[in-house]
Amino acid sequence: MTVSVAYVVAVRRSRISPLTATGIAIVGTMIGVALLGPLLSPHDPYQFSVRMNEGPSIDHWLGTDDQGHDVLSRLIAGTRLSLMFGAGAALIALGIGAALSLMALSLGRIVETGVFSMFDLIRALPGILFALAFVAAFEPGAFSVMLALGVSFSPMFAMITRATWRQQMARPYVAAAQVLGASRLRITIVHVLPNIIGALITQFAIILPRCIVLESVMSFLGLGVSPETPTWGRMIANATQYTEAAPHAVLAPIIALSVATFGMALIGDALRRGFDPDRRRIAL
Amino acid sequence: MNDRLIQTLLPIGADILRSLMIAAGIVVFSFFLIRMIPGDIVDVMGIQGTLTYGQQDAMRESLRLNEGWWSQFTAWLGMVAGGDFGVSLRYGTPILDLLRVALAPTLILGASALGIGLTLGVGLPVLACVFPKSIFVALVQFITLWSIVVPTFSIGILCVIVFAVWLGWIPAIGNMVVPAVILGMDTAGTLAKMLHEDMVDTERAAFVRTARAKGLSRWQIVLRHILPNALTVVVALFGILLAGALTGAITMEVVFGLPGLGTLTLQAIQGRDYPVVQAVVIWLGLTVVLANLISDLVQRSLDPRIGR
Repeated sequence: MTVSVAYVVAVRRSRISPLTATGIAIVGTMIGVALLGPLLSPHDPYQFSVRMNEGPSIDHWLGTDDQGHDVLSRLIAGTRLSLMFGAGAALIALGIGAALSLMALSLGRIVETGVFSMFDLIRALPGILFALAFVAAFEPGAFSVMLALGVSFSPMFAMITRATWRQQMARPYVAAAQVLGASRLRITIVHVLPNIIGALITQFAIILPRCIVLESVMSFLGLGVSPETPTWGRMIANATQYTEAAPHAVLAPIIALSVATFGMALIGDALRRGFDPDRRRIAL
Repeated sequence: MNDRLIQTLLPIGADILRSLMIAAGIVVFSFFLIRMIPGDIVDVMGIQGTLTYGQQDAMRESLRLNEGWWSQFTAWLGMVAGGDFGVSLRYGTPILDLLRVALAPTLILGASALGIGLTLGVGLPVLACVFPKSIFVALVQFITLWSIVVPTFSIGILCVIVFAVWLGWIPAIGNMVVPAVILGMDTAGTLAKMLHEDMVDTERAAFVRTARAKGLSRWQIVLRHILPNALTVVVALFGILLAGALTGAITMEVVFGLPGLGTLTLQAIQGRDYPVVQAVVIWLGLTVVLANLISDLVQRSLDPRIGR
């Protein structure tokens, strides 16, 4: 429907500043590396060797880690994994947050109160603690990490859904649809949803880098994916034990993580400003 | 008169009721979260080979694990209500003692982070508002961007490598200044952004023009008229900022090797010492709920438009 037009206009309005262009370049590179993955990788990221904690050389551009893995190859493999985990978690958060709250909003006051109390409950627990407890309760692994992050970030989408939904429900087109006899559910899904999707996409862009960081934090704390999987968080966790012998092994993933989140956050912030020109605080 | 009293008290009552419900939710959640884990502590210890079958049965009996979940729940609830979180399975000491010891570093770290955050987060926007064409505006923008694009986790590890390992300025374990500054800058960014936007909006209000016409100085206008108006933002954000500072403190503790609640929780999760995890979830959750309630109530008394 009109959603794409509204969104394009909003993005146009944000004008591409040098900072945003930097963000786009960074994220573009990251996606490229994630897609090409194994083609770029000079070594097998899982290959052990006796050359442990060696500094950068011609053969190993970024050196090797404590088990003789090639750091550059693991970094490349980790790009794909971190992006996948982050995007998976953010999608789950979007799915739970937006779908549940839209359903609750269209079903009326009582369901709304119930569902949003649940989101308040999740929000009241410090995010990392919630995710840690969640992963502890299930089998540790890729999916439970994504699910834990998704659930703990879902209130962020629920809040923005409710705020924008309320704004839209006050619009004349909603009244027109009501006069035509459309039900609340139909109005919400057919008429309001296309108009709030832009806000949800923006929120997604803001949440995505946070998911990637939190996934790294969880891996770092030892509650993420299995130890040999080369996510950035895992690389950081392993290498921090040898910071004096091999600082490059911890610096490489840290810098990759910082640059990636930097780029994504810049894009998210630009989208937010473009979408929210009056700087209205729709939700945090 | 009576109607007005009811009108003011009703929303306050609703706030309190909602907070109580969420608090109850947290307690129930933390109970069932632990029940969802397959196997119990006796199984874990049995696998480790420290218990005979007879001892396992006896231990289940003494821990009331062979009873239904409802009687377990009520028994546990009675204990928690009395402030007794049970005994750590790993250390054998009462959990309350563990929490008390671990609370100090977390509290100091969280409080100093909040302190730095509030000072910078309120001070910079005020200076930027008093001197609108100065470096302070750029500083507000910088700290805002900083908090958006620099995660505390990665900058924390970078600081450990640079300041502790390479330069040797701080000890690698137990330093509290650097994590407090990192967390404080993060808090300050969130706050400065909101406050600055709000103050710029208030700047255009009619009463500010009146104040200017009266011949008040910039400082007087900002401190007496603009800031009090924008201060509701700080109050509204307080709960979220506190939750953020606590969450950040947990990560920072592990990165900087501080023996606080975060480290305790992590060790508890890794050692499957679930009663400790439970207790921390309840403690931190209730703290945040309380902070949110206070910030709601204060906001209500500051801004009479809310909830009408």
